[in-house]
Amino acid sequence: MTANILTVDDSASMRMTTRLALSGAGYAVTEAVDGLDGLEKAKTHRFDAIITDINMPRMDGLRMIEELRRLPTQLGVPIVFLTTESDADMKARAKAAGATAWLTKPFDAAQLLKLVSKVVGK
Amino acid sequence: MSTIDPIDIFRIEAGELLEQVEQGLLDLEQRLDDREQIDAVFRGLHTLKGSGAMFGFDALAAFTHHCETAFDHVRKGHVPATLELVAAVLAARDHMRALVEHPNGDYARQEVALLDQLHAAIDIGARQISPPAQTETVAPLEDAGAPARHWRIRFALPPNSLLNGVNPLTFLDDLRELGACEIQVDASAVPPLDQLDPTALHLRWTVFLEADVCRSEIEDVFLFVMDDMTLEIDDMRGPASAEPPSATDAPPALVTPTEATTPEAKSATEANGVRARRAVESVRVPADRLDELMDRVGELVIAQSRLSQIAAAVANEELRAVSEEIENLSSELRATMMVLRMVPVGTLFERFRRLARDLQHETGKQIELVTEGESTEMDKTVIERLADPLVHIVRNSADHGLETPDERVAAGKPEVGRITLAARQSGGEVIISVSDDGRGINCERVRAKAEANGLVAPGQVLSEKEALQMIFQPGFSTAAQVTNLSGRGVGMDVVKKTIESLRGAIDVESWPGEGAEIALRIPLTLAIIDGLLVRVGAGRYVIPLAAVEECLELAPEQEARSRGRSLLSLRGSLVPFLRLREIFQTGSPPDPHQKVVVISTGAERVGLVVDQIIGDHQTVIKSMSKLHEDVETFSGATILGDGGVALILDIVNLVAAGQDQEARLRAIA
Amino acid sequence: MTTAVRTSAQWSETGEIDALTFDVSGETFALDASIVREILDLLPETIVPGARPFVGALVNFRGRIIPLADMRFAFGMARTEPTIDSRIIVVEIEFAGAPCLVGLRADKVNEVRTLARDASEPPPRVGMTWRAELVDCLIKHGDAVIIFPDLQALFDASRGKPDAEIIRYPKT
Repeated sequence: MTANILTVDDSASMRMTTRLALSGAGYAVTEAVDGLDGLEKAKTHRFDAIITDINMPRMDGLRMIEELRRLPTQLGVPIVFLTTESDADMKARAKAAGATAWLTKPFDAAQLLKLVSKVVGK
Repeated sequence: MSTIDPIDIFRIEAGELLEQVEQGLLDLEQRLDDREQIDAVFRGLHTLKGSGAMFGFDALAAFTHHCETAFDHVRKGHVPATLELVAAVLAARDHMRALVEHPNGDYARQEVALLDQLHAAIDIGARQISPPAQTETVAPLEDAGAPARHWRIRFALPPNSLLNGVNPLTFLDDLRELGACEIQVDASAVPPLDQLDPTALHLRWTVFLEADVCRSEIEDVFLFVMDDMTLEIDDMRGPASAEPPSATDAPPALVTPTEATTPEAKSATEANGVRARRAVESVRVPADRLDELMDRVGELVIAQSRLSQIAAAVANEELRAVSEEIENLSSELRATMMVLRMVPVGTLFERFRRLARDLQHETGKQIELVTEGESTEMDKTVIERLADPLVHIVRNSADHGLETPDERVAAGKPEVGRITLAARQSGGEVIISVSDDGRGINCERVRAKAEANGLVAPGQVLSEKEALQMIFQPGFSTAAQVTNLSGRGVGMDVVKKTIESLRGAIDVESWPGEGAEIALRIPLTLAIIDGLLVRVGAGRYVIPLAAVEECLELAPEQEARSRGRSLLSLRGSLVPFLRLREIFQTGSPPDPHQKVVVISTGAERVGLVVDQIIGDHQTVIKSMSKLHEDVETFSGATILGDGGVALILDIVNLVAAGQDQEARLRAIA
Repeated sequence: MTTAVRTSAQWSETGEIDALTFDVSGETFALDASIVREILDLLPETIVPGARPFVGALVNFRGRIIPLADMRFAFGMARTEPTIDSRIIVVEIEFAGAPCLVGLRADKVNEVRTLARDASEPPPRVGMTWRAELVDCLIKHGDAVIIFPDLQALFDASRGKPDAEIIRYPKT
């Protein structure tokens, strides 16, 4: 069965890059434009993994991860967050919120796919 | 069609982020302690840096990093936001735009200057508050250790790991990638079945790894979870583990989901809610795809009108019903299509806050910019093309219209001059006006200048309206000396040309001593116009309905007049007319009852003599082929219901060409 | 631009070219077959007042408005009445840096032929009634001489303002 990945990013170029990489590797991709949108989409659908940006309008990634982990349907779903090296304390905060792994920008498609295949499992 | 390049999307996005940063900075300039704006600016810079690095804009990412860091300090309260910092980051923002547009330029010297300005600004801020205690101690670099051959790795994960999506098997997989592994699982902590929480993790693992790796490489496997887990990595070759034993003895740290976000994070989220309206889910589509879709819709409308004609000719109720249904659907589709291209003019107005700020510095005048009607929507292409003309008009208002603070006080006005940028919809047009409360446009001086430049004959009677229109004549300038501001090579004549190319018009009004207003009247969309379809000889032409004032029959005695005086009397005033049959050289005899379509070019009224008025026609505009670019009398073409093509008249160029021709005719006669 | 639009003779390595040949006013012309998009029956034409006679009309090519070019104006040939064989050849040329569709009026369209470079020669400086720079080469094919026009030169020459003689003022 095709693994379905939710990508949450307010940047269309990032969403597109992520989608191109993932769909090229055979994943089904759903996109959300910010935390609130991501949360709404996750309420109605269980994804195999969620990839999210942190800095977003309306609801940021941290808050979304916290909210997601309160949803019974989203327990155990791997959540990868995208960050930059300057986010020194972000790792700890995201982890406290319930994130599973992170990926540092800039990354290339191979790095993304490796991480996703790892968290999704074979 | 090829797929869209994410880099192109990034460029568009970077433009928007830079706008957002600029708006945030300008807001911040007004209220330096506005947390919402501090966060917004930080977020914009942060995204720009991250995405920039993703798409290979390394110089942009590196440069933006400095500004982001500065705002990170502000955000965390290490330094306050200051006017100096805002100014420095505004200047830096302009440089970032250059880095987006020309990423390969050589900017070394500018960057040094900008960063000096930025750091100086941070220093000013830092002096304002006592320096924050250096809380962040740099952790000493752990000795990564030399590569070894035999490792024993013992690890246990927090019980809630599974709920957070952590899959312990991935760690085992990663270790296997490093080298040969022997894995033992310790299930002794698993409780009896009746007490078992299936979502909790009770297993521990011991892995014997045989690989030439160093400690840090093994630690990397557990990087993300390392702080919360128990992990022992022993070099089996050495006599003892370098790890302090306490780490091993400590019980697994529990990670519980934090209950609520910190208060400031919460308030920031709520503040963001204010902007929620803007973040309605949207899909970005390149403008040319919309144009393509518009073309298809246009063709559908044409095909549908042919269908209607056939349905009307064939007496078949069913066919007629279907035809009507398709007619309704296609007109709805067209309406929807038009809406798709519409964006609020607020996106355009936002740029003017920066302009007003800069103008204030340049002129030494105090300027308050007021914007109204930001939600008025217009075709996106039109909005883009309005930007430069509006900049020019606003500059003119600031430069020529507004008085200096002293002059204003002397005139009993408030010191701060006001420029109002307003938009509203009126019928099929959007009216965008720039008004100021300055000294007004001096009609006498405009006239004198026009005479001096030979634009008006001395003694020629000009109405006030006509006199004011003179400012749009090429090479006209009322300023006694060309200032840095308005004298930038583009004159109001360029403004006029741009507006006319959008099929728009300009109205000027002036109240001496009280101010002036320049209003741009622009059709709602470029793609479809309402036109009057006429026939001249065998050809059919469309006259933009917005320009049409009235239609009448050409009286035989006027028809008989010699060409030297092609004037018709219209309610007491004389209106010149042009015979399109002659301009277009149809070579056909005129129809017995010639019609006149009286049009207004904004500055004057002219009658166009045609053979037949066919009727109103809503027209999907198609541009002329590049091979016909030199033909200026037509602004485009359209496909009619019968599949034929009608040319759309460019009123202003046509009238100009007609007058040239008249003049030459007179010279011949 | 990756797809160069070829508007003059582009010989293959073996010195050949696939060309569409067509007749206009008794002469036979040839075009690189790869630039031909479609061959149409005559369409209703819309005269563009003020345009150069060479591209003096427009046609509706399935919803696209394209200029209709008439070689007779460029080569100063006699006008002929349309016949049942008259066609419009739609070609894609490059104009002002962008691809551009144009219709070419033909009295008759012949077949696509493989022409050999060995049989071609540059246009003679004298003995032709038309301007040599508008002709890429002449190709002997049997008894006939086929004219290979330089389309790029033809359309570029039609750029700019209409020249004075086109505007004829009616005498009063």
